[in-house]
Amino acid sequence: MQGIAQTTQASTPYGHATLQALIDAAKPGDTVLVPAGVYVGPIQIDKPLTLEGRLWPVIQGDGQGNVVAITAPNVTLRGFVVRGSGTSLDREDSAIRASAPNSVLENNRIEDALFGIYLERAADSIVRGNTIYGMELPLSRRGDGLKIFYSPRTLVEGNVMRNTRDAILWYSPDSPVRGNDFADGRYGLHLMQSDRHVIEENILRNNSVGVYVMYGSGFELRRNLIINNRGPSGYGVGLKEANDVLLEGNRILSNRVGVYSDGSPLRPGSTVTYRNNLFAYNEIGLEMLPNTERNRFHDNIFLDNGQQVTVAGGGDLLRNEWAMDGRGNYWSDYAGFDADGDAIGDLPYAAKSLYDTLTGVYPELRLFQLSPAVDALDLAAKAFPLFAPQPRLSDPAPLMQPPALPPTPGLEPAPTTANLIVALVMVAAALFIVWAGRRGPGGRRYVNVGKTHRATARS
Amino acid sequence: MNITVIWTLAQKELRDALRNRWFLLYTAAFVGLSLALSYMSLAGAGIAGFAGFGRTAAGLINLVLLIIPLMALTVGAQSLAHEQEQGTLAYLLAQPVTRAEVFAGKYLGLAMSLLASVGLGFGIAGVVLAISDGAGSPAAYVGLMGRTYLLSLAMLSVGVLVSAMSKRGGVAIGGGLFLWLTFVFLGDLGLMGTALTMRLSVGQLLWLSLLNPLQVFKMAAILDINATLDLLGPAGIYAMQEYGQRLRIIFLALMAAWIVLPALAAYARFQMRGDF
Amino acid sequence: MIECIDLTKRYGKFIAVDHLTLQMAERSALALWGANGAGKTTVIKCLLGLLRFEGAIRVDGLDVRRQGRAVRQRIGYVPQELAFYKEMTAFEMAAFYARLKGAPAERIDPVLEQVGLSEHLAKPVGALSGGMKQRLALGLALLSDPPVLVMDEPTANLDAAARSQLLQLLAQVKAAGKTILFTSHRIEEVETLADEVAVMERGRLQFTCDSTSLAQRIGLRTQVKFIVPGHEVERALEVLRDGGLAARRNGVGVIVDVSHGEKARPIHTLSRARIEVIDFEVE
Repeated sequence: MQGIAQTTQASTPYGHATLQALIDAAKPGDTVLVPAGVYVGPIQIDKPLTLEGRLWPVIQGDGQGNVVAITAPNVTLRGFVVRGSGTSLDREDSAIRASAPNSVLENNRIEDALFGIYLERAADSIVRGNTIYGMELPLSRRGDGLKIFYSPRTLVEGNVMRNTRDAILWYSPDSPVRGNDFADGRYGLHLMQSDRHVIEENILRNNSVGVYVMYGSGFELRRNLIINNRGPSGYGVGLKEANDVLLEGNRILSNRVGVYSDGSPLRPGSTVTYRNNLFAYNEIGLEMLPNTERNRFHDNIFLDNGQQVTVAGGGDLLRNEWAMDGRGNYWSDYAGFDADGDAIGDLPYAAKSLYDTLTGVYPELRLFQLSPAVDALDLAAKAFPLFAPQPRLSDPAPLMQPPALPPTPGLEPAPTTANLIVALVMVAAALFIVWAGRRGPGGRRYVNVGKTHRATARS
Repeated sequence: MNITVIWTLAQKELRDALRNRWFLLYTAAFVGLSLALSYMSLAGAGIAGFAGFGRTAAGLINLVLLIIPLMALTVGAQSLAHEQEQGTLAYLLAQPVTRAEVFAGKYLGLAMSLLASVGLGFGIAGVVLAISDGAGSPAAYVGLMGRTYLLSLAMLSVGVLVSAMSKRGGVAIGGGLFLWLTFVFLGDLGLMGTALTMRLSVGQLLWLSLLNPLQVFKMAAILDINATLDLLGPAGIYAMQEYGQRLRIIFLALMAAWIVLPALAAYARFQMRGDF
Repeated sequence: MIECIDLTKRYGKFIAVDHLTLQMAERSALALWGANGAGKTTVIKCLLGLLRFEGAIRVDGLDVRRQGRAVRQRIGYVPQELAFYKEMTAFEMAAFYARLKGAPAERIDPVLEQVGLSEHLAKPVGALSGGMKQRLALGLALLSDPPVLVMDEPTANLDAAARSQLLQLLAQVKAAGKTILFTSHRIEEVETLADEVAVMERGRLQFTCDSTSLAQRIGLRTQVKFIVPGHEVERALEVLRDGGLAARRNGVGVIVDVSHGEKARPIHTLSRARIEVIDFEVE
């Protein structure tokens, strides 16, 4: 910010003319404090300014085009409610659209917007602490809550996004994404043709895809909570032709597919490393295309995924490293033992379920998931090794105990009391039925009457 | 229909079930295994720091598919044939009761005993899960129990039908066990084989599998808990796209059909029989 | 009270009951007489609605097929051997059937008293003796005080003491004015209990007669066993045969085949020959 800026207090906060006029009247570098009130958009900011809302002034769009357009560099917009963009996907109607470098969009609340915040050729910008609510539209007609386009070195931090389509970072290398909470959309975070990103401590929840990384290199995904991303092609994390990727300390829970890896790494000599992640309760923990190479796994926890690791289309994953420096991963379905007490299983973990192999080739057979027939099939394959398939992967040093994980944000406690009450009611109801049955036909009353009657008659 | 008669017979049936060692054995197995499952899930929840009801539920679904049909088919198959073999059925029918009342009373009593069994299994496991934060939402848990109960009724109806068609208890039990094998293993394995050799479309595969009430239960339960059928791969995704939320109605209708139709057939057979 | 018209029951080609027509007046007692397989039990099962049949059966003017429950309301049924729920006590059993019959609970105690089971209420039915079981069956049949009592070989599985005890009870019941229909192949039962007898053979009704003339009508013969001193056995056989009686040796005794109604004749014959009769037994 410029040190010689002047601060102006807007006095008559009514109408479009007022806010726009205020902006028009301000000198470049000024800070304009805007009091509460409803200001009619659209607004254009075409000079370096700091606009700061006091008590959530509202900039109300007219349902056409963008609501706030920033066309000059070094603009800061802070503390506003911005709502009512147009609905045209072709024009990409946005609540806030910045097309100049060094834009700072901070602590704004965006509602009823087709696109929320759209940075286009706005390098070195900051998008921080905004809350973005999309329009109640079917997914196919929604816009992107956050679109960062050709804007390298942009910081995306602490934003909350709901009910939009995607958060996109395309062609915007070196942009860290940290501490955001993106839920209920299509792509929680979509990176494309963009290198060197740190993606840290975000919550990606209930989207179709948590994080999708396409075509680029140098990604570090750390300590994110990636949970419940489902849908026909739902992935917790998708990697497509991404090079030099590190996933560390992420909790990848309850997604359709925890991590889907397609041609990553692509570039010779580059690697994808999975370290200390938790893959738990996903329908498929890890799904990779066959002949994927140079993936390294160690100290990960594969816990109770419907299928731990599958190979899409059949084949194996033997050309990856499933242990580093004598430490492999923890597999909840490992059936081996540790006689020498070094906390490493004495037999390798080998994934060779016949059913898993079959579903790799014929995915429609996943219909039989959870059926006892599947267990019977695998048991039969074990009993008659003739049918036993080749292992798809082999972890030479499976861990006997799950390694400790770093904390991630955003896990909610379960509704314990309600569950306890419900469970106790079930037990009580069952016991009541048992009691009713024990009374038996005729009931106790008759028996007692009979016996006492007899006793008195005799005495 | 005389309510007192039906209730008297139902109570009698319930009492017998609670003394039937097979029934007790299955109930104990169900309670024990669901408890073990809860503990295992809890160990997992400790690692994950996350209430993984999804996997607990998956394990419960797997367990229910194995045990509940066995239990319900067995008690159903024993119901009429066993009493006929012992001669108690003829004596009962010589009383001033109608066959409709006898049938309704027996069915009601068995249905109550199954409710007790299912309630105990889910209830006790639920206490463990709840105390240790392992359960998901109470609604999901109750829903799963409800669906389990519906499945047990469907299997009970089929078992009673087998019973009404047999004169000897042993034959009825044998028939029930064979049906159990078919529903639990042979049907699915056969369908897997068929799907592979005939290259069935996902739609055909879906509907063929829905002929099996166990699959109906499984899909309905998964839909309840996950809100989608992604877990079931392309056929599940096809089902969601093709039928969406109507699936819930379809599942309910199919399950209702499996409860009502075999029971009606069993009643018709029982009513028609003149060999007591 | 009970009316069978053209009652026919076929099992495939086998005809178990063949165009049976029968009538029973109120308060009368009719025995269905015949060997095993004569169709007696089948008639009773048809009457109770347990079997499908051709023809018609009416009880108190009610059709068995269409008004089965009302018919069974009027009938107390005592099977040949009551199939029990073994784990129930006698009292629970009575309470259970009282509720099915809609009989008031207060009836249970007096009825069980009447059949002499008051001391055994808390015993599991499986632990009762054969005679007690059959008396319990009678008690159950009487719970709702029905006008008709239908019994299938009520004393067939009982020993002599239990049999006479039950017959005594049944005589009381008859005296109380019940209409009684029962099957039997025991003459003493028929003579004690029945007014009339319908004789069946291979599903057909042969004839009906007064219960006192049954033995004569069917030429019933009885075997009487005599014990005489060992050295007299040969002479006894000779004397009896000379007297026109069919006699044969049986271990230490002599068995004589006589027609029903002249069981005393061999005794006279033997005593006239001064042969001591130590003991005798009617089989």
